Amino acid sequence: MSKKRSIIFFTICILLVAGLFAINILLGSTSVSLSGIMDAFAGRADATTEAIIKNIRLPRAVAALVLGGALALSGYLLQTFFANPIVGPYVLGVSSGAKLCVALMMIYVLSRGRNIGLAGMVISAFAGSLIVMAFVLAISVKVKSMGILVVCGIMIGYICSAITDFVVTFADDSNIVNLHNWSMGSLSGIGWREIKVFTAVIMICLVISLTIIKPMNAYRLGENYARNAGVNLRMLRVILILVSSLLAACVTAFAGPISFVGIAVPHLVRSSLKTDRAGIVIPASFIGGSIVTLLSDAIARTVFAPTEVSISSVTALLLVPVVIYVMMNRKKDH
Amino acid sequence: MSEVRGIKTENLNIGYGSDLISDICIEVQPGKVVTLIGPNGSGKTTLLKTLTGELKSRGGVIYLGDRNRSEMSAYDIARSLSMVMTEKIKPELMTCREVVEVGRYPYTGKLGILSEEDKDKVRDAMEQTDTASYSDSLFSELSDGQKQRVLLAKAICQEPDVLILDEPTSYLDIRYKIDLLKKIRSIASEKNIAVLMSLHELDIARKISDVVVAVGDGKVLKIGTPREVCTEEFIRKLYNIEGVESELLGDQYWEKNTDEPASYQTSLKNAEKISSDMRAGEKAGENCNDRLKQESEKSSAGSRGAKVIMIQGTMSNAGKSLVAAGLCRIFANEGYKVAPFKSQNMALNSYITDEGLEMGRAQVVQAECAKTRPVAEMNPILLKPTSAMGSQVIVNGKVVGNMKAMDYFRHKKDYIPEIIKAYDKLSGENDIIVVEGAGSPVELNLKDGDIVNMGLAEMIDAPVLLVGDIDRGGIFPQLLGTLDLLNEDERKRIKGLVVNKFRGDGKLFESGIKILEEKGKCKVVGVIPYMDLKIDDEDSLSERFLNKKPGRFDVAVIRLRAISNFTDFDTFDQFEETSVRYVETSSEMGDPDLLIIPGSKNTIGDLRELKASGLYDMIIRKAKEGTCIIGICGGYQMLGEVVEDPYCSEIGGKETGLGLLPVKTVIGSEKIRTVYTGEITGTTGVLEGLNGAPVTGYEIHMGETVPTKELTEFTSGKTGYCLGNVYGTYVHGFFDKKEILRGIVSKIAASRSKTINADPVEDYKDRKEIVYDKLAENLKSSLDMDYIYSILGINR
Repeated sequence: MSKKRSIIFFTICILLVAGLFAINILLGSTSVSLSGIMDAFAGRADATTEAIIKNIRLPRAVAALVLGGALALSGYLLQTFFANPIVGPYVLGVSSGAKLCVALMMIYVLSRGRNIGLAGMVISAFAGSLIVMAFVLAISVKVKSMGILVVCGIMIGYICSAITDFVVTFADDSNIVNLHNWSMGSLSGIGWREIKVFTAVIMICLVISLTIIKPMNAYRLGENYARNAGVNLRMLRVILILVSSLLAACVTAFAGPISFVGIAVPHLVRSSLKTDRAGIVIPASFIGGSIVTLLSDAIARTVFAPTEVSISSVTALLLVPVVIYVMMNRKKDH
Repeated sequence: MSEVRGIKTENLNIGYGSDLISDICIEVQPGKVVTLIGPNGSGKTTLLKTLTGELKSRGGVIYLGDRNRSEMSAYDIARSLSMVMTEKIKPELMTCREVVEVGRYPYTGKLGILSEEDKDKVRDAMEQTDTASYSDSLFSELSDGQKQRVLLAKAICQEPDVLILDEPTSYLDIRYKIDLLKKIRSIASEKNIAVLMSLHELDIARKISDVVVAVGDGKVLKIGTPREVCTEEFIRKLYNIEGVESELLGDQYWEKNTDEPASYQTSLKNAEKISSDMRAGEKAGENCNDRLKQESEKSSAGSRGAKVIMIQGTMSNAGKSLVAAGLCRIFANEGYKVAPFKSQNMALNSYITDEGLEMGRAQVVQAECAKTRPVAEMNPILLKPTSAMGSQVIVNGKVVGNMKAMDYFRHKKDYIPEIIKAYDKLSGENDIIVVEGAGSPVELNLKDGDIVNMGLAEMIDAPVLLVGDIDRGGIFPQLLGTLDLLNEDERKRIKGLVVNKFRGDGKLFESGIKILEEKGKCKVVGVIPYMDLKIDDEDSLSERFLNKKPGRFDVAVIRLRAISNFTDFDTFDQFEETSVRYVETSSEMGDPDLLIIPGSKNTIGDLRELKASGLYDMIIRKAKEGTCIIGICGGYQMLGEVVEDPYCSEIGGKETGLGLLPVKTVIGSEKIRTVYTGEITGTTGVLEGLNGAPVTGYEIHMGETVPTKELTEFTSGKTGYCLGNVYGTYVHGFFDKKEILRGIVSKIAASRSKTINADPVEDYKDRKEIVYDKLAENLKSSLDMDYIYSILGINR
């Protein structure tokens, strides 16, 4: 890895983030000009435009930025944990697990006439993702093959999704219409209150993952050499699992399952940086995730406007080819 | 508690669900290589995995140093134990450097950021394992042999006390195998690391190990030296091949009952040659120049008292040393405090200072000329060639290790601070420093990072006199060509040219001087006449070796490959009609009156070469014929029955000696360096009657030699013994005292009915003074001393 390469990479990424962020604010069913946006921020625009910009588009862009980064980071941590480049929160079913749990909680709580609340959302999503993760871990102990592990993860994901569908179908409460939208994956309807909560959680996760850069690097040589470098393996594993699950849970709780960002982005980042150094790949994955999600959300909102496509469909279209490419390349290597 | 840093187990039980081996009590001491052998499935790998912590022990204790492994933190364990296991790792997109850097993690902070020091250690480890050239390549793209060496580099830069290797040679071809094992061996002894490894190759295990541990049948069957363990009977039993025909394998798998074969050492040497030839293309050491500059800036800011002049030559043996020596004497005679200086000497010939430090002989002569005591600072770096490819490196008088030429080239920049420190010390204590360069200043391929010629001149801001040798011809291309190849700044440093070794009347060269001054735009400071002075030789390039003609009294000195300290015999030059011949083959032996076996840097190796060249038998024959034989230091060791090198101080192993003296030598790891004053305490044979003669000199040796039966002590302090006409002593400079020299020569001459006039012979020291003064006188009359003082910046 050369220094020059990473400087160029990060410069391009930051420019892309800024550009896409601006585009996401510009684009929408109501056309607002650039000067209109400036006016909105300055408080000179009419109330409607200001509300559109400040309360709808801006939070949505921020959510894409933060949640996308979180997803990619979660994927990278999982890939490190399993020493397997074709895993991510979505293919392992972790996102679906979180979704199921949130859905169940929502219905249960709503049926009692109460609102679930933001903390409740996060906690139930985290619980769901951990339950699925426990399943996956149990399988990974028995099955050493990476491929089978991924297949099992996808199956678990389907089961969770199926159950969620049942629940959504039979819970005939008008509130649950929201749930349907949400369970498809969408960044719409995220407000500043939500953003504060998940940004705090995600930033804590990011900081924690930055503290395990050194053991993660050693872990790339396999657990025995990592142990020989003085790495506390149990601690590393616990942190990797908890942090990646919490990140995936957080995203799922607020935006529903967004597919393939967690698996494809770290790979794209690694191959363009030509390194796997955790200290660089962690921030790079985060930014990469932001870019992909901002882009996908922009597409999801505008291509069939005013109808919104599920963001997950867009990410799948964009990223599945990448995943297939990775899998084929790995076949060549081994 | 004592500082034991190896690994030890007490009643250790290992295994996966049940005990595979129980009650294991083994110990590996620092610097030792211990090998586990045993059939497949006997638990070698399980044992190693238990020691590294991959498996839990099933009882018993593992001690790392004096600490119980189970009570140590993960990082403490990582700092004292590193490993290379057989599992194949496939880190993606990880460069070799990154892999090696993991070895430093136990020493870094939370984020694993490496300090400059860590990075240096990573680089050193990679250089040591010859992996530096692919440090930026991806680990996954290397061959198995390269991967194994990268992992070894990782293990080394972890700076462990204990290194554990599981089948380190599997997947490797023979060359990598030899290479890797040799590295492991040398790392163990250089870094004092305890090495424990498992090996399937019994032939290799037998030769590389200090101790072999055989496991089988659920227990440790045998622990002992390879000789004790690898008996045919035991090995056959261990691997259950009793009665199996071994023709297919040959017999290298177990000890023959007689002597141990030397073939492995030879094959190692050859392999080393091949691999270092292959590496010769690699380039390194680019940053030297920057470092030089920094250092020189730093140092010129400091206070430096003395005036300085530097003598450089157009080639080796142009006469730099003599000119420098002469100038030292001239300045000293005129009342200045003078010190000689040469940053780096390459010579077999070293001298021991009063402090017990080693330095080159040339600066000793110059110090004597300067009428001052030789100190190691005058020659901060001394390289003593130990083989065609490598040298022993001595920094400020102390051995720092053996290095290959390429390795030294890479490391030499690290010695710049030492050089500057030494120079500054001398400069603070003297009025004038006379600095000598080395070789030619325009060895263009080596100019990068030069620390001996122009690089040094720049560092210490010295004016330079360039000396050419007219006797060998081509004085114009020598001087003018050298000036031409220098860059502008360097050329400005040359303040004068000197034509050396002119035969005949110097006036005849006046037209030549004009041409030189015109074309070179540089003053010719003088034309020095050819001088036939008997002064200590600087190095093995000496013409001395070429003399093959016996004189009336003939001294034959065995020309050992790694001969050391051969100025011991210069004092014989005082006799008319006496020849000192250096004998290389048995046909050159002739019928010498005195046969001398000199010191060696590599006693066992040279002994083997003597055997190969036939000189070994020749010396024994001469001894039977009654020729007087004197062995000095290494030569003395060779005279004995056996020389052992159990700590691999030289090349390791064991060799039978000439058997002319009933003594045996064990080469230790501690080097003895002392100045010696004593006397002849007993004599036998032809030298009888010399008792009481004073002996002065010095001892430099690693070994200890003890008589195996009662024997006459030759030199006092148990430094030598004699039997019949065979004498051995550790004292270098043994012949320097006139009483000894006169006594020996006249006694031998008398016994062989020759008459030699030994009266004019002086102590080596007195004679030297006369020579030095003559040298100074010659130089003073042929050099423009006023001009030299002016470039020194001294007004008289």
